[in-house]
Amino acid sequence: MELTPSEQDRLLIFNVAQLAQARRARGVRLNKPEAIALISHTVIESARDGNSHAQALAAGLTAISNNELLPGIGSMLRGVAVEAVFDDGRRLVVVDYETSDSEAPGQVTRLEPILPHVKSGAVTISVHNNAAIQISVTTHMHFFEVNPHLSFDREATYGMHLDIRAGEHIDFPSGDSVTVQLVPITGDRVLIGFAGLVDGPLDEPGMKERAMERARTLGYLGEKNE
Amino acid sequence: MNKQELIESQQDIAVHGARRGDFVRLGDTQLVVRVEADDREIGNEVQIGFGKNLRDGIGMRSVATTESCDVVITNVLIIDAILGIRVSSIGIRNGRIVAIGRAGNPDTMDDIDVVVGSGSIVIPGEGLIATAGGIDTHVHAMSPRVCDAALSSGVTTIITQEFGPFWGVGVGSKWALEHARNMYGAWPLNVGILGRAAGSTNAPLHEAIAGGVCGFKIHEDTGAHPRTIDTALTFADEYDVAVALHSDGLNEMLSVADTIKVIAGRAVHAFHVEGCGGGHTPDVLQLAGRENILASSTNPTLAYGVNAADEHVAMIISAHGMNPELPSDVQMARNRVRNATMAAENRLHDMGVIPVTSSDALGMGRVDDTWRKTFAMASMFADESILDGSVAANEVVTDNERVLRHVAKITINPALVHGLSHEIGSIQIGLLADLVLWPYSSFASKPNMIIKNGLPAWGVVGDPGATVTNAQPLLIGPQFGAFGVTAEDLAVQFTNSAFTAPNGRRKNVAVRNTRTITSSQMIRHGILGEVHVDPTGHVVTFDGQHLTQQPQNAATLTRTYLL
Repeated sequence: MELTPSEQDRLLIFNVAQLAQARRARGVRLNKPEAIALISHTVIESARDGNSHAQALAAGLTAISNNELLPGIGSMLRGVAVEAVFDDGRRLVVVDYETSDSEAPGQVTRLEPILPHVKSGAVTISVHNNAAIQISVTTHMHFFEVNPHLSFDREATYGMHLDIRAGEHIDFPSGDSVTVQLVPITGDRVLIGFAGLVDGPLDEPGMKERAMERARTLGYLGEKNE
Repeated sequence: MNKQELIESQQDIAVHGARRGDFVRLGDTQLVVRVEADDREIGNEVQIGFGKNLRDGIGMRSVATTESCDVVITNVLIIDAILGIRVSSIGIRNGRIVAIGRAGNPDTMDDIDVVVGSGSIVIPGEGLIATAGGIDTHVHAMSPRVCDAALSSGVTTIITQEFGPFWGVGVGSKWALEHARNMYGAWPLNVGILGRAAGSTNAPLHEAIAGGVCGFKIHEDTGAHPRTIDTALTFADEYDVAVALHSDGLNEMLSVADTIKVIAGRAVHAFHVEGCGGGHTPDVLQLAGRENILASSTNPTLAYGVNAADEHVAMIISAHGMNPELPSDVQMARNRVRNATMAAENRLHDMGVIPVTSSDALGMGRVDDTWRKTFAMASMFADESILDGSVAANEVVTDNERVLRHVAKITINPALVHGLSHEIGSIQIGLLADLVLWPYSSFASKPNMIIKNGLPAWGVVGDPGATVTNAQPLLIGPQFGAFGVTAEDLAVQFTNSAFTAPNGRRKNVAVRNTRTITSSQMIRHGILGEVHVDPTGHVVTFDGQHLTQQPQNAATLTRTYLL
């Protein structure tokens, strides 16, 4: 058989799934390892039957019904990932099992919405994308140094970043203008790296002028930005 | 909250985990904690990944790790007996914790405690709980697989009495101990070995000290006589090592009061103080609640259940070289099993009288069950008003203190009892970065990652040929830190201060302050009082208060997770 480590792992899924099936047949409600094995096994076997990725996923989603699970298990069956061998190769299937069970181990309860940190010194500017492709800018990027194909009042964005939630971004579609809000970078306000336009303390005397000059020289304020 | 706010809150929790003020249910227990603090600034949380802000010049400072961290665990919910329950980030350098607090780049972010360097390893901790690594002070390593099982359950330190399927309960042979130290180098697991304290003279104890033990075990099966107890404690005072006691269960030479007299106020760690594991019948539990006697439990009697008594007779016979065909052996075993003391033991834990839990692995306990049983027990006493939603937003009625008390039992308190707390036991600056990361949903039952000296050494691994790390079947097993000579580098050998012999790559660390430790110093414990067990073994009181507890039909952290 020349089974690889990955193939041998399939047998663990099969073993536990068989155990789960036997237990389910006795009317035993399934726990987390049993349920995950049964879902994974169902996906793998659907792929083996020659079904498509979408069909295997659908099979995985319906492998178990809610009333066959112990209380709280359904909430732990989101993001069950398994690699099955389809006719066109091995493919990753991620099953987000839907549960109607309100019980959830590890549940986080929040009674009041969180209040975002209020930031002062916000500015609003319009940004136009001159490029043929979409450009996306993330929350904490120094906006002054973003892609030179974005046209906007660069000077107003010196030392600023987008005022959006951490980890999010704003898309600037090709040829479009988008209005965004920016807030000052905090901390010691030292910017090292990026496009090299600042490369030091933002508020050092003469730094902003030097950065503007570099921006001009390097084409960040060129004709395409007018 | 309105519907929109609810949706946004759920998204926020999914991305950033719990925040200050949030209630978090621990696994499938009835325990709900409220997050006491969050070191992040809302809106400036650092995150690693595509389009996230932990990038060079933004959240990462372009400096060497000597000025930042080798490893940063970001945005993790810390549950630590000393630090409390807070969301924070943990910075690690050279295997030790160097910073705890807000992570990021001080060049671009306010109030940064943990500097993330452009070369730092980032372990995202959102949705995970970080605890100090578990410390199991009562391990019979009768099989090497006990080390695998310990690590897989979130235990990063064992105090062991053997290294093979032989009669040990402490080992005295210097020659054998040298081999033992080498063997244990195979695991990224801190190890201390107890010498056998069965000496009526000093010679066997001297040899064990020269062999590098970190303490002694007095065991009735090798002699818990007045002389052996006194010899061990006198010797321990001289060398500053701990002494664990399994007292005279037959009351052959001593009753419990006599044992207390022989101990004479000196520090001693009373193992399995309930008594099923051994010790004065039926009243060894009377050792608990005293200033100089550090009491601990072994895990089969914890989360007192309906089947506890039934399993113990067979367990005692099997673990102690007894014969089920001999009626006198069966009778001796039965004498050790008492429902009343099991019930009382669980209550004494919740009250903060018994400060330590352990396993008694392969010698009447389960090495991979101590976290689980400790918190299943805590769950028995949980404040149910939180779960049913009857607690108001501003009301402080959570199980925080109860949860921290139970974390202390398996982390800092065993470290204090055995003189390890200068290296391990808590999430504190300067200590070894021995950490366990748990999903909220399987806290104390199945860990996600075991970090040993700052590196992932054990934990969940998936299909090795897959495109992603989380493809089934997910197994708990060795991570890179368990391979090559790194396993030796990532753990220490706890020894005594007189021991100076080299120990391969594995660093020797002498235990200290073992002789001055008292029950009052036990973190989130230290309740002293008189435990009384009546001669029938059926009535237990604490300062006159009758301690009872109904056995549970079902323990939490168990059926949900275990195959």
